[in-house]
Amino acid sequence: MERDTFLKVVLPTVVLLIAITSVLIVTGLASENPDGFEWALFEWAGVEEPSGSYGGLFTFLGSGPVADAIAGGIGIIIVLLLAYVFFRYSSRNSE
Amino acid sequence: MHVPDGVLPLWVYILFLVVSIPTLGFAIRKVNRRFDERLTPYMGVLAAVIFAAQLVNFPVPPASGHLVGTTLLAVMLGPWAAMVIIALVLFVQALYGDGGILAFGLNFFNMGILGAILGWSISLVLFKGLRRFRDDKSAVLMSTPVAAFIVTIMMAFVLGLELLAIPGLGFEFVIVITAIHAIIAVGEGILTFVILLYFVRAKPKLVSFLSESIASKTIRESPLKKEMPLEEMSVVEEAK
Repeated sequence: MERDTFLKVVLPTVVLLIAITSVLIVTGLASENPDGFEWALFEWAGVEEPSGSYGGLFTFLGSGPVADAIAGGIGIIIVLLLAYVFFRYSSRNSE
Repeated sequence: MHVPDGVLPLWVYILFLVVSIPTLGFAIRKVNRRFDERLTPYMGVLAAVIFAAQLVNFPVPPASGHLVGTTLLAVMLGPWAAMVIIALVLFVQALYGDGGILAFGLNFFNMGILGAILGWSISLVLFKGLRRFRDDKSAVLMSTPVAAFIVTIMMAFVLGLELLAIPGLGFEFVIVITAIHAIIAVGEGILTFVILLYFVRAKPKLVSFLSESIASKTIRESPLKKEMPLEEMSVVEEAK
């Protein structure tokens, strides 16, 4: 990645994304019930939420808005790196 | 719109894995055939934007919803690259416990395959119709959010049909889940417009619908156009 593109585009965008999502999650401005509408619908239809399902990589952080914000920030960086590595590799393949 | 593990019968998850994994492989092969290395940082940024946008649920009382973003990606990068990015996002989300690992095939079918193909097709039809009356940038800014709105409702309808595999669910469930997503689709349209507006202004070359028209406009205006075939012309433009 060119240093210029990294400093002017990638870094500011990632910092901005992490800042916005963290503020929204920590201050409770985002819904506290992600995909809750679907469970509400399932409950309405008489289907119970499965118990004991996989909780995710960051369950050790505990639950709560701060843990969600930290996990979200790490996820943003992981997705960015995965996509960058994949498309970088594929662009070299196509040359 | 993320379906978790353990809700549907096992055969449904396996069926969608069988359909989705080869389609993802095909999408990766298609992406491998054409790519500009200079745009790769923006691919990473776009994937991060979609992941971040899906982290934050906006309230739709008594429920909540979030951006899916497949139509946006399909218009910007084409349907195959959109599928690959959605697959990456869904994979990381599955590791996070949002949507299931076994349900990856089903979620990728709904949000990746259906979303990308329908989103790209509907946007393209609207874009071609609108560009008769408006300039390309206005046409893409109008067509994409409308397509995102329509596609979100279509994806919800298909999701509802898939969920009928749960014993005891009736067709009224499909109607309710589609109706709720009609409200969420308004948010999808607005967010799609805002993100696309940024890229149209900052990096129009990254929007596939615009990059094609930029390329053809450049070729039309080039003094070399009469002497050089189209493919060679694009090489010249690239070198500039």
